[in-house]
Amino acid sequence: MKGTILENGYPSIEELKNAHRFPSEERFQKGPVAVIECLQPIPCNPCENACRFGAILVGEPIINLPELQEEKCTGCGMCVASCSGLAIFIVDKTYSATEATISFPYEYLPLPVKGQAIKAVNRAGEVVCDGTVTRVMNVKQNDHTPVVTIAIPKEFSDDVRSMQRLNVAPAEKDHECCADYTYDPADPDDLIVCRCEEVTVGDIRKAIAEGADTITGVKRRTRAGMGLCQGRTCSKTVSKMIADAKHLSGDKIPLDTARPPVKPVPFSVLAGDEDI
Amino acid sequence: MLVNRQVAIIGGGPAGLTAAIEAAKVGAQVLIIDENARPGGQLFKQIHKFFGSKAHNAGVRGMDIGLNLLKETEESGAETWLNSTVIGLYEGNRLSVVRTMEDGSKKIHTVQAEKILIATGSQENTINFDGWTIPGVMGAGCAQTMINVNRVMPGTKALMVGSGNVGLMVSYQMLQAGIDVLGVVEAAPKISGYNVHAAKICRAGVPFYLRHTIIHAEADESGTLCRATIAALDEKWNPSPNTEQSFDVNLVCIAAGLRPLAKLAQMYGVEHGFIPELGGWMPLHDENMETNIQGIYVAGDTAGVEEANTAMDEGRLAGISIAQSLQLLPDQEAEQCKAEIRARLESLRLGPFGERRLQAKNRIVKKEVQL
Ligand code: SF4
Ligand code: SF4
Repeated sequence: MKGTILENGYPSIEELKNAHRFPSEERFQKGPVAVIECLQPIPCNPCENACRFGAILVGEPIINLPELQEEKCTGCGMCVASCSGLAIFIVDKTYSATEATISFPYEYLPLPVKGQAIKAVNRAGEVVCDGTVTRVMNVKQNDHTPVVTIAIPKEFSDDVRSMQRLNVAPAEKDHECCADYTYDPADPDDLIVCRCEEVTVGDIRKAIAEGADTITGVKRRTRAGMGLCQGRTCSKTVSKMIADAKHLSGDKIPLDTARPPVKPVPFSVLAGDEDI
Repeated sequence: MLVNRQVAIIGGGPAGLTAAIEAAKVGAQVLIIDENARPGGQLFKQIHKFFGSKAHNAGVRGMDIGLNLLKETEESGAETWLNSTVIGLYEGNRLSVVRTMEDGSKKIHTVQAEKILIATGSQENTINFDGWTIPGVMGAGCAQTMINVNRVMPGTKALMVGSGNVGLMVSYQMLQAGIDVLGVVEAAPKISGYNVHAAKICRAGVPFYLRHTIIHAEADESGTLCRATIAALDEKWNPSPNTEQSFDVNLVCIAAGLRPLAKLAQMYGVEHGFIPELGGWMPLHDENMETNIQGIYVAGDTAGVEEANTAMDEGRLAGISIAQSLQLLPDQEAEQCKAEIRARLESLRLGPFGERRLQAKNRIVKKEVQL
């Protein structure tokens, strides 16, 4: 496995172990235990309140990483559905002589049923082995975060963290209507920037070349930002084009003038009130 | 028609509602004006469990927090005009509102209020690439609204552009809706949102394309999106030739960040500053969320793009400050409540994901922003 958590999107076992977030092998051998795969200091702590055995510690400040007191953890699984990041798993390496179980949050429909054969996946979503569903917990307290438990061959217990979704659509046939696109570094002048007034990149480049160095200046010359959305869509693109062309930072490009009505209003409504 | 109220709140999202509750429950006469058919802003599309602490309803789904806020708003006695749009803010704290009446007709009403809170939220940024106007290319927030609020599938095969929390979360929610997410494209060399969000979509098999950008989208004969092409970025952040990869998708979601929506504040002459960490140009405010114009307050994404928890706390802060300045709350009590909220806000902005926002907010209230 290459890369770090920031490149892969999931932590490697090494990263978990280095951060002391992986229970010890002795603890695993004693029965089910929580594995908390939450490695970034984010403002979050519901897991701490969820464990009635006091096995999860966040404390103050709230960005502390949740720390598992492995000797206090009973593997009860109460914390799994309460984790907003769906980052807690229960691993039981003592399930049988050859199999381990993994419990994970699973917020997809359809839910699997007990006894169902499924494909077990690792943190990257790759299928690593077959598994069997041993339990689906979806009580009211879980608030729509079902917890699924699967039995898998023991040797995969450090890797398996979920199952292949059952709602994956069968692969559609790739269509043949368009040819592969080849990048052309000279970006075209006819690309639309303001879709309401159909103003193109070329129009705006011309306006900038003519001396427009504000959004309002571009607007005066091209009508960009004068349509239905009042520049909500294009003003950022226009300011970026000016910034790039004139080598200015964003703070040097002032906002365009704000004028009423900020949202378009039919004349019939404007004319309809005698009291104004 | 001219309507007088003590407090007018523009936008009934997380910031507007919490402010309304705080001000109305101590007796302020509050009017919330919202352009949607239902208040709650973006909360009802947040179907995931929130982060934060217990005081922030951590572990509760955004939509359920929204329901609780609506109930509290009703109990507080605040009045709400729905389907009603504020189109201008004029001298003398006068708002011009296109109000939808009970019979569905639209009328212009002028609302005059002693205190006005602008909590109009933010808008999604676009990326300008070849084909970005094709139907099927949309903002990630837009796709999220279609799926979670309108219950309409925006497509069946999708590509997400942007790996911030919005991009990651919407990717996950698309998978939940049964949409195949073919990848998440990110220009930076690392994933920018929370790892716990990224890990969820990794387990579902979604690959990341770091140092890539979208360069092209193509429509089929019917005019709808059928293919999107990405390319690797070189060290100057330009697409490199011969690195194109195409995906057969009918949905491209753009999660390129948000920027504050504050035209009304700007129109009224509220001082703005350029704060890239909070979305660019934004109205400046003091530690009570009041702007340089007395009686005009901002909160939530309008006061710098963050997230729903900070928006709710900023709304509370504004609501209490408003109540205090209307002398509906004794100073000592108000100051104590505000201190608690400020401490909570600070805790939400700790850590690597929040510290730049924390520093920016500190610069703003200390008036250290260059104008
Ligand atoms: S599995 Fe049970 S005991 Fe262990 S940390 Fe979770 S809630 Fe606490
Ligand atoms: S609830 Fe989950 S995401 Fe939040 S701190 Fe605990 S383990 Fe991390």
